[in-house]
Amino acid sequence: MTRSSGVFEEWQGCSLEDILGICRDTVEEGDYSAVQRWREGGGRVVGHFQVYFPSELVHAAGMLPVKVCGAPVETRHADSRFGSYLCSILGTSLELALNGTLELDMFVSHPICDAARNLAAIWSRNFDYPCQILYLPQNANSKGSADYLRGEYARLLAELEEIAGRRVETADLARSIDLFNESRALVRRIYEVRRETPWKINAEDSYSLVAIGGFLPVEEHLDLLRTVVPMIEQNERKPEDRIRVVFEGAFCEQPPLDLIRMLGRTCYVVDDDFLIGLRWITEDVETEGDALGNLARAYLEQSSYSPVQHDNRKPKEKMLLDRVRRSKADAVILTAAKMCEPGLEEQVAYVSALDDEMIPYFISEFEQNMSSFGGLELQLETFSENLLFD
Amino acid sequence: MAYAAGVDVGSTQTKAVVVDETRRIVARGLVDTGANVIQAAENAYLEALSRGALTEEEVEYVVGTGYGRYRVTFGNEQVTEISCHGRGAVHLFPATRTVVDMGGQDTKAIRVSGEGEIVDFCMNDKCAAGTGRFLGAASAALDIPLDDLGNTALASRRPVKISTTCTVFAESEVLAWLGKGKKVEDILWGVHQSIAARSAGLMRRVGITEQVTFTGGVSRNPAMIAALEEKLETALNVSDDCHYIGALGAALFALDRILASRAPLSKGKAS
Amino acid sequence: MEEQETIVGRGSRDGAALFRQWFESLDEAARRDERAAYVFVMGSMNEILKAFDMHITLPEINSLQLAVRHVAHEYLQEAEDYGYSPDICGYVKADVAVQLRGGVHPMGQIPKPCLAVYTNACNTYIKWAEIWERIHHIPIFTLDVPGHRQLGVHTVPGDQSFEADRAYVEVQIRELISVCEEITGRAFDIDRLRETMHYANQMSASWARLLELNRSTPSVFNALTDGTVYLGVANGFRGTAEGAKYFQDLVEEMEYKVANGIGTITNEQHRLAFVGVPCYPIFRRFNELFAEWGGTFVSSTYLWFASGGTQKGYQYDLTDPIQSLSEGVLLNVRDAMNSMFDQTTVIEGFINEFGLDGVIYHPIKSCRTVSTGLADSRRQLMENTGISSLFIESDMMDRRVVSEAQLKNRIDAFFEGLISRKQQLTATGGT
Repeated sequence: MTRSSGVFEEWQGCSLEDILGICRDTVEEGDYSAVQRWREGGGRVVGHFQVYFPSELVHAAGMLPVKVCGAPVETRHADSRFGSYLCSILGTSLELALNGTLELDMFVSHPICDAARNLAAIWSRNFDYPCQILYLPQNANSKGSADYLRGEYARLLAELEEIAGRRVETADLARSIDLFNESRALVRRIYEVRRETPWKINAEDSYSLVAIGGFLPVEEHLDLLRTVVPMIEQNERKPEDRIRVVFEGAFCEQPPLDLIRMLGRTCYVVDDDFLIGLRWITEDVETEGDALGNLARAYLEQSSYSPVQHDNRKPKEKMLLDRVRRSKADAVILTAAKMCEPGLEEQVAYVSALDDEMIPYFISEFEQNMSSFGGLELQLETFSENLLFD
Repeated sequence: MAYAAGVDVGSTQTKAVVVDETRRIVARGLVDTGANVIQAAENAYLEALSRGALTEEEVEYVVGTGYGRYRVTFGNEQVTEISCHGRGAVHLFPATRTVVDMGGQDTKAIRVSGEGEIVDFCMNDKCAAGTGRFLGAASAALDIPLDDLGNTALASRRPVKISTTCTVFAESEVLAWLGKGKKVEDILWGVHQSIAARSAGLMRRVGITEQVTFTGGVSRNPAMIAALEEKLETALNVSDDCHYIGALGAALFALDRILASRAPLSKGKAS
Repeated sequence: MEEQETIVGRGSRDGAALFRQWFESLDEAARRDERAAYVFVMGSMNEILKAFDMHITLPEINSLQLAVRHVAHEYLQEAEDYGYSPDICGYVKADVAVQLRGGVHPMGQIPKPCLAVYTNACNTYIKWAEIWERIHHIPIFTLDVPGHRQLGVHTVPGDQSFEADRAYVEVQIRELISVCEEITGRAFDIDRLRETMHYANQMSASWARLLELNRSTPSVFNALTDGTVYLGVANGFRGTAEGAKYFQDLVEEMEYKVANGIGTITNEQHRLAFVGVPCYPIFRRFNELFAEWGGTFVSSTYLWFASGGTQKGYQYDLTDPIQSLSEGVLLNVRDAMNSMFDQTTVIEGFINEFGLDGVIYHPIKSCRTVSTGLADSRRQLMENTGISSLFIESDMMDRRVVSEAQLKNRIDAFFEGLISRKQQLTATGGT
């Protein structure tokens, strides 16, 4: 469907500081009123759980893809659906749906981890709309993976067409890929700026600009990025004497914005894996030819890494070291969400690789729902002082 | 007149209740449990007997309950406190369908039928975040007597959000808020809200059906009643005897046994 | 009488003996410096690996044996000291410690791996194999088996979508065969594969029959305690003549018990289904807590998923082995996964078929795959059927989160409620 007016326009005509402030507030307050406005305009919404999801397919069907990645909310209803030993994001994601914050027409998840693979069934038992699994290939190294994934995308697209009540033409897909290519390129540009001149944009603002793309129509997110990226490039802020760090461990559950803000007070976060799913594809997806095949190949061949995707070609510790070198970081903040098994397991390999390379690191756990991190800040400041005064 | 007794050996306090054939409470006993559990059970029982001016011979059947129920050496039988709280709550408030029992050690959510049978129950397993012990930690950190916590908290205007779920860290979080200049009552109300939220989550697991009866030691805390009522959006049944409900339930089970033994066809215990 | 003495109890005796024999052969292999394929219970691919005569070891079983033998805590501690979090899978940690100790295990030396083969039925399998890749620098092979896409929607052979998934599995099986050829230096022999698949067929058929036999009253085996012994053989000896024979004998024993009304040692008063993974740190005691009340486990989802989803007795077509293997693996692994994520429908049927009085849900800290959805499944089962059920959390490895007193309290309360419900039904003339 097409809309005459946007669902998120309050930033237009504002200064850089004001635009960033609006984005921060929207993300921090878990304000999904843009999604609500989309629905009020008659639009349909497809929620997709972490990590990667081919949003192009939903967009091509004229619907709004919304990244479901929890929020710092109290899990009043969701608690009764789960046992005791669980990360926060599963509960807070379900809570958003149970308490009516996120009204969906379809929910899609991929079995990224042992806990999340239960989500589709739980969601199905609690909601009437279709709740599906998109089975991304977990064997990225088979000759059959790309064909399989192409078929899986075709299967999902047929389901989406049914919900949208319209056929998706080749041209629709090509257009969607184009739009997402451009938005991903602009996000990559923000990350380049952070690597090169991190004082021009801090981590929390970069985070908000990416995160907001998780639930805005891509056209509007593009408008925002096209406006704001040149402003960031021209930003006249002066560099300060801070350590440069990579933040690793937020591929799924996200730390509260307040925690990212706290990091930014102490260090320059020059690269990270925040919302890596939205940035999974690292180069433009081919727009000529078979769109589904191109998307499938991009997932497998032109992509980032995370602890929940195994690929023989991408040992995670090697990928982390590449990230550290590319961003000229002094150190790594190595985190995992509380109770996140893949994240906690990967930490051991990361630590060993960083030790071998003599790269300093700081280990921590976080939780989406945490609201006080005085202890963390104290440790981080000490860590940073140690490096600066070394 | 025959009498039946129930002795509820809790982690903090041991309670005893004696009922008569009409199911009326005729005496209560209350002692701190301490390290000698067997002695505590006996002391609470003897205290109840003496208050009711009764002799041991007059009490025909004693049921032990609570975590120390197997230490009620003079008891004829043991029944879990889950069954006893359900039974006792329905006795005091017959329209009860959900019971929340908050003690020092744990919190239980119990769904009961109209006959007082346990339909389902759930307990906090892993930590003390939703229990009286969490209050104890806050009380220690703020240096306010446990009994005054509730009334202090009720004066709050701008509650803080307590995010830790760990009793060990509760103290440091409370101190951190103090360090930020937050008022004691606002921190305390935050603590109560945090516990109430956890307990409400537990209750949703068994399903919250009205009426809801609040039992256990913490049910004497007015702020916890208010916080729970706010979270559950319903009024709670609370009685002065809520602290004794486990012992009362046990006494009622004991009375069942006496009455059953007099019936022409005894069903006895099924196991 | 003589017949009874030879038959009754044979499965337990022979099962224990075969299990020891398996570990002894591994121990001997390790001492000869031979290596083994490391595989898992859901999609072990024994059919292929045994066709190459590879030793196989199942680290899940190695780990649970440490818990049963009450030494798991030493191993867990060692892995935690090495850097693994208290909040991850206990099986993984115990195995990390076994690897760090060079394969030392109370049941005998565990050979080093030459290859790890794992499906996606549990995501931790993948993370686990990555650990061996780092420690031993061995090839690790993901056999990706796409599961059901939607609750209650199951595609079947012949469906376009099923065949697409099957084709993907088949490509991977062929790739696995190439990897095995490379590692063993032997050419693949399709007739050897036919042979292992033939034995696997026999075992699957017997397994399905065995589970079905426990519908009788009294039940003929305890699904929790006896069942676990059977699972050990099912996993270690799948695709072998000994394994096939063992289960044929076991079916014979159980048919004999059914015919003669011989039950388990429990004085059976309440028939229970178990959902989850056993509490290995107090394995016997856990069962006693139920047996003391006359509760006996007649069925268990563990017997479904930990047998790799073979409970329906799928039979391979040996005329086209690889095609059929890919179909069977897809169906079986899906059934294994489904019994973890969506067991409600099957259990609803079991209430009548097995005469269930109650369902015991036992989610554990160590395993999110099995545990994450159980509270919600239980909510649905109780809404749909009103059957009595109990939700108790502990662990399969870590005794630090197993509180016997807490468990007992809940189990006692469960039976108090169950008995009073039964009495009420009797009093009101219900059934």
